[in-house]
Amino acid sequence: MATLLIEIGCEELPAAACREAGTQLPELCRRALGVDPTQILITSRRLAVLVDDIPEQTPDQWMKGPPVEMRDKAAAGFAKRHGVEVEELEERDGALGVEISGRALAEVLPEQVDALLRSLSFSKTMRWDDSGIRFPRPVRWTLAMVDSKRVVGERSYGHRFTSGPVEIPEASAYLDALRAADVEPDPAERRRQIVEALDAVGEWTDPNRVLEEVVYLVEKPIVIDGRFDERYLQLPSRVIETTIQHHIRAFPLGANRFAFVANGGDPETVRAGVENVVEGRLEDASFTFERDVKVGIDGLAERLGSITFFAGGGTYADKTARLGKLVEALGGGEAALEAARLAKADQASELVREFPELEGHVGGEYAKLAGYPEAVSAAIDEQYLPDAADAPLPQTQTGRVLSAADKIDTLNVSFELGHRPTGSRDPYGLRRAAIGLDRLATEGNLSIPRALLEGEVTEFVEERFEGLLDAPVEYVRAARRASVRDLGGVARLAQALATLPDERFAPIHTAYTRASRLAEKEEGAASELDPALLVDQPEVAVAQALERVDPQIAAALDAGDFGAAVESAAELGPLLDTFFEDVLVLAEDSAVRANRLRLLLNVRDTLGRLGELSQIPR
Amino acid sequence: MIGALQDYWANRGAVIMQPYHTELGAGTSNPATFLRVLDPTLKEWRAAYVEPVIRPTDGRYGENPFRFQHYFQYQVILKPAPDDVLDQYFGSLEALGIDLRKHDVRLVEDDWEQATLGAWGLGWEVWCDGMEVTQFTYFQQLGGIDLEVIPAEMTYGLERLALFLQGKQSVFDLEWAPGVSWGDVYRENERQWSRYNYEEAPVDVLQRRFDEHEAEAGELLDKGLPLPAYDQVLKSSHALNLLDARGAVSVTERAAYIGRVRKLARRFAQLYVGADGNAPD
Repeated sequence: MATLLIEIGCEELPAAACREAGTQLPELCRRALGVDPTQILITSRRLAVLVDDIPEQTPDQWMKGPPVEMRDKAAAGFAKRHGVEVEELEERDGALGVEISGRALAEVLPEQVDALLRSLSFSKTMRWDDSGIRFPRPVRWTLAMVDSKRVVGERSYGHRFTSGPVEIPEASAYLDALRAADVEPDPAERRRQIVEALDAVGEWTDPNRVLEEVVYLVEKPIVIDGRFDERYLQLPSRVIETTIQHHIRAFPLGANRFAFVANGGDPETVRAGVENVVEGRLEDASFTFERDVKVGIDGLAERLGSITFFAGGGTYADKTARLGKLVEALGGGEAALEAARLAKADQASELVREFPELEGHVGGEYAKLAGYPEAVSAAIDEQYLPDAADAPLPQTQTGRVLSAADKIDTLNVSFELGHRPTGSRDPYGLRRAAIGLDRLATEGNLSIPRALLEGEVTEFVEERFEGLLDAPVEYVRAARRASVRDLGGVARLAQALATLPDERFAPIHTAYTRASRLAEKEEGAASELDPALLVDQPEVAVAQALERVDPQIAAALDAGDFGAAVESAAELGPLLDTFFEDVLVLAEDSAVRANRLRLLLNVRDTLGRLGELSQIPR
Repeated sequence: MIGALQDYWANRGAVIMQPYHTELGAGTSNPATFLRVLDPTLKEWRAAYVEPVIRPTDGRYGENPFRFQHYFQYQVILKPAPDDVLDQYFGSLEALGIDLRKHDVRLVEDDWEQATLGAWGLGWEVWCDGMEVTQFTYFQQLGGIDLEVIPAEMTYGLERLALFLQGKQSVFDLEWAPGVSWGDVYRENERQWSRYNYEEAPVDVLQRRFDEHEAEAGELLDKGLPLPAYDQVLKSSHALNLLDARGAVSVTERAAYIGRVRKLARRFAQLYVGADGNAPD
């Protein structure tokens, strides 16, 4: 048994590429060498695989050929393919074949290393010479060793600046040799070292999640803490965070401190340089911030008429006007209306042009500075929440109203302009907006009238419930057809139907399906029910019950009391049973028959207030 | 600093070129890069030069110490990219007096794309103690055409690099020459040009100029004169940048304008490589 090392040396790979390689290498190693790797070691400059206890010979392989009875026809071709004579073929289990003996590991390694390199797949690749290989960045060396024998390449390379070429005495000494050359090849260990060092300098945070990238930005992590001048603390805190995290992938330590992860250098020198860069960036941000504040949020809001919301969707001033109306329709109070008026003001600010990801937050801060009440500034700040499937909802009620208004408007305008998402393409984030609306309606308990959703938007938004709710999709589909005014009502009704015990649901479902099936199959229903034509007792009973139950169901649905609605609907069950038993719907007398069909249609419509129950399989 | 870079790259076989004579948004657009890289018959080309870049929307009236509508890039193009291109690049930093062991020097993923030129490449921004001092790109496509020979482009941000070397916090305070600061030389320039770019540049004239440059480029391409046509593409691109600074184009209009420049750039590239619609093989 031997130890195997394969190392692919590259120019600095992006973190994403390192992660892509990390997930593929174990399987590719198994496929190429038939063994599980012992360790996968990845830095920005190398992808390495270590395998302990690998046989020095690849296993013998039985190549199964044609069945014995096909000897005359197929044996020659098979033998030729495998470079043996027909006479050498053996017979096993009724088939001809040949035992190909294993080869020395060292012999197959060059082609396997090449295969490994070519079979890695990455989302973004480039060419750099005429070798035809595509990789995320140029490959500059490969090294493959079996114990102390170099099979491919001669050496590895250590840290780019503090080390140089590294002789690996034997495969099993790879880790030690690289560690001595200022490289920590194991990403998990680098991560541990970074976290440990960060813990030692203070209460670090990572709001934009850069840690995973930093692990692949350095080969030898050195954590350095720095400070910036306190006067920059006047900036909105997220501007500071974003500057620190986005521009230099550093971690805020609270107040004016931060921690930077370097890859080398003299800590004092690097600290001074990094502090200088951070202050430069903050100075830049302060400059734009102060200019914005001088204009003020109201002044910024006045400039929205000259900024396009999106092509064909008018300006941000138009959007602001629409938001006001929507907020009103959503029952928003004075604070919500004020927030709607100022919601998009930060689109005119220079700071948002610099930090587009801070839209909303910047507006909220500017509203606060202008003395607007907390309900207004918080709503502006929170208007884009939830901005991911698992992101939190706005905390404040005004924020929820504004967020819903914004999403409804974006959806309505986008659909009107024909920007319905297709396949994986959703450049305007409409799915996210729709899911956000659904969550505001359910988790957020916000009353969102379905009538505010225009055209296909209703369907698009309500379809998202199918993935969001616990209820099976059929119940969601049924509930979407219910006469419920409120978006959240659809969800609650679907859940009420799905959790209803079968003995209570069955009669409603049966009544609905029987009534609708029969009435829809036969033509000639009367346009209105004529009580005078109701002759049999059971049909009179159904008609009377309907008159009572229909408004009850409607009222219960309006009030969101789905239990009561179902309760009322259930009353029709036994009456319909008797009806179908004792009454001949398709009566001889055509007027009576037409009237009975109308009665059944009315039953369907009344129960149909609970949704298209036929969607639910039973 | 510029002298040190010129010496360094001249010693490595680079032709020392001069800035181009019309406004460019980046040194990449200089024919010494764009055309030479695109030319499929030219298998080897090394050049280095200073390029003053003009970006009207980056002007800040000389008030912001980090943003300017006019600044300097040092551009190096090596075609094909040598195997040791990174070592050569880091050598140039050492030639500038940067001790690579004392500082934290790093390559951070940053891919490059220029919509108007139909061009993209993969590469990095180079950090010195967190300061981005160079953009490094392996071009893959220009003018919508896949490149046969892959070059490496290094674009040094001269002001940033000087901030780093001089340890200054404001570009205005950079020492341009003994006793003369960057601010002494360029601050008034920034003030006046920012006013021109944002307030005074005549919108109707610019719109007309864009159309004229575009039309002329088209005619020159029809007549089989790609080189003069290329200048017209650059000029139309600059007219668009000015219109943008004047706030005279909406987002949609801007996309349409960019589409027009890109179309020209693509036509130009195809004529120039002699492929008339087909990428060279």
